[in-house]
Amino acid sequence: MSDNYTVKLKRRPWYAWLLWAVWLFLLIFIAQNAITSGQELEGRAAMIFWISFAVLFIAGLVVAIVRRNE
Amino acid sequence: MEKEGRMKLSRRDFLRLAGVSAAGAATATVVRPTLAASKFHGGEFTDAAGRPNRPWWVRVVDEPTTEIDWDRMVRYDERNGTVRGPGITKYAGEEAVARMGELNKKNELERILANVDGYTLKDYALQSAHAGHARSYLGPQEAKTPEDRGVPKWSGSPEEAARIIRAAMRHFGAATVGFIELDERTRKLIYDVDPDGKKLIFTDEKEAYETEDARYIPNDCKYVIAYTVQMSQETMRRCPTVTGSQTTSLAYSRGEIIQASTQEFLRGLGYQCLGESSTNALGIAPAFGVMAGLGELSRLNRVITPEFGPMVRVFKLLTDLPVATDKPIDAGIMEFCKRCKKCAEACPSESLSFEDEPTWETRGGWNNPGHKAYFEDAVSCYTYWREQAGTNCGICFAVCTFSKKDKAWIHEWVKAGASTAPALDGFFRTMDDAFGYGTQATSESWWSLDLPEYGIDSCQPVEEA
Repeated sequence: MSDNYTVKLKRRPWYAWLLWAVWLFLLIFIAQNAITSGQELEGRAAMIFWISFAVLFIAGLVVAIVRRNE
Repeated sequence: MEKEGRMKLSRRDFLRLAGVSAAGAATATVVRPTLAASKFHGGEFTDAAGRPNRPWWVRVVDEPTTEIDWDRMVRYDERNGTVRGPGITKYAGEEAVARMGELNKKNELERILANVDGYTLKDYALQSAHAGHARSYLGPQEAKTPEDRGVPKWSGSPEEAARIIRAAMRHFGAATVGFIELDERTRKLIYDVDPDGKKLIFTDEKEAYETEDARYIPNDCKYVIAYTVQMSQETMRRCPTVTGSQTTSLAYSRGEIIQASTQEFLRGLGYQCLGESSTNALGIAPAFGVMAGLGELSRLNRVITPEFGPMVRVFKLLTDLPVATDKPIDAGIMEFCKRCKKCAEACPSESLSFEDEPTWETRGGWNNPGHKAYFEDAVSCYTYWREQAGTNCGICFAVCTFSKKDKAWIHEWVKAGASTAPALDGFFRTMDDAFGYGTQATSESWWSLDLPEYGIDSCQPVEEA
């Protein structure tokens, strides 16, 4: 048995952080539109924005989990 | 040896920081104009003349986005233009007008008895509550003049004059205010004959006056004050019903109050202010709105403003107080109208133009030639009002892509996009439909809404601070 072992550190590239920043920005943008569309009494627009928010949020979550397990 | 406690920034941390900073900057870019647009004025005018600090996508231009042939244009006889009123007889004939009247009366009775949504007794009661106020050419003439007070009349720079008029008129209830100076060209926008048949005559005399046949405008009264009064989008989306039409009536009533108050305000300063002697008198309101930069002419053949879309009524006054003037604007509205056509598709009487490009050819005597526009069929429009709607319509205003409140950030983005990237206009129009904007609501639900004063979004001013 060898006394040596290797620890592999995987560094995320710079653009990955940028993509997460864009994801976060989009979430904020869509959430704002979803909340205020409700206030504007635009029910259908509010619903579309909330669905978009949920889809984007879950997609980000899934990507984060998958990448963590890689 | 490295100094203890000194923070070392790794490349990784640096990139993280850069990412967060980028997100912050991007968010701030979006948030800033949105917050600025939705806050009510807390500060002072930044412009000496009190001009609104408009969004970056509203460009001030020398010529309006509506092409005008000033040589072809003549001063208009507004008796021909009252097609949505007494002038209809000229175009439709007495028999048709009588038929419309009878039908309207019959429909009204049947609808009230059947409790039809938007035509119930409470809706008609709301309608009859607009008693109206007296408009007059010379104004109430009751305010104390500087002479009455034994003081010299107010004096100040044109910028200062524009600023205090703006401040006063905003106080009286105007949404936006713009100014132009009449010259040989724009003088053609003052009617030749008012709706009541009185001639409008320019004179070298110093004081304005009125006789049985004419209204005299001193040549010194060459400054036009054009102003808008907001309507309620939430009420308008109940069109065409009696309920929905009430925001139009209310805007006209408010316009009357603003006119009388401004006339008295200027009298108090020692100047003259000449107003509309009746609804839509004195001059062509949309034309003055366009020339003063309040908005652009649209497929509706009405003004669409960058701030409130078409949800405004436009009025005008004349004064001899020299004011700093304004220029037309280009916010991409006319360009957008070329591709959108949502109003024309929604018009139940098919009165609006479906043409791709505006035209010089008018549709009838109710249009004034000399400008390239989307002229409407006012006779079929008014016939629909009388024979079917039972009230004025307004669907074209309600469905317009620019008829939006200002809370959701997306609206500001879309307006900016429409102004700068016309290639996206079709996409914006499709999305407008998909998101359900402009859909009608029941009138009964209107009576349960907790709306702000006048039903307008009072937190939707033009940013001026």
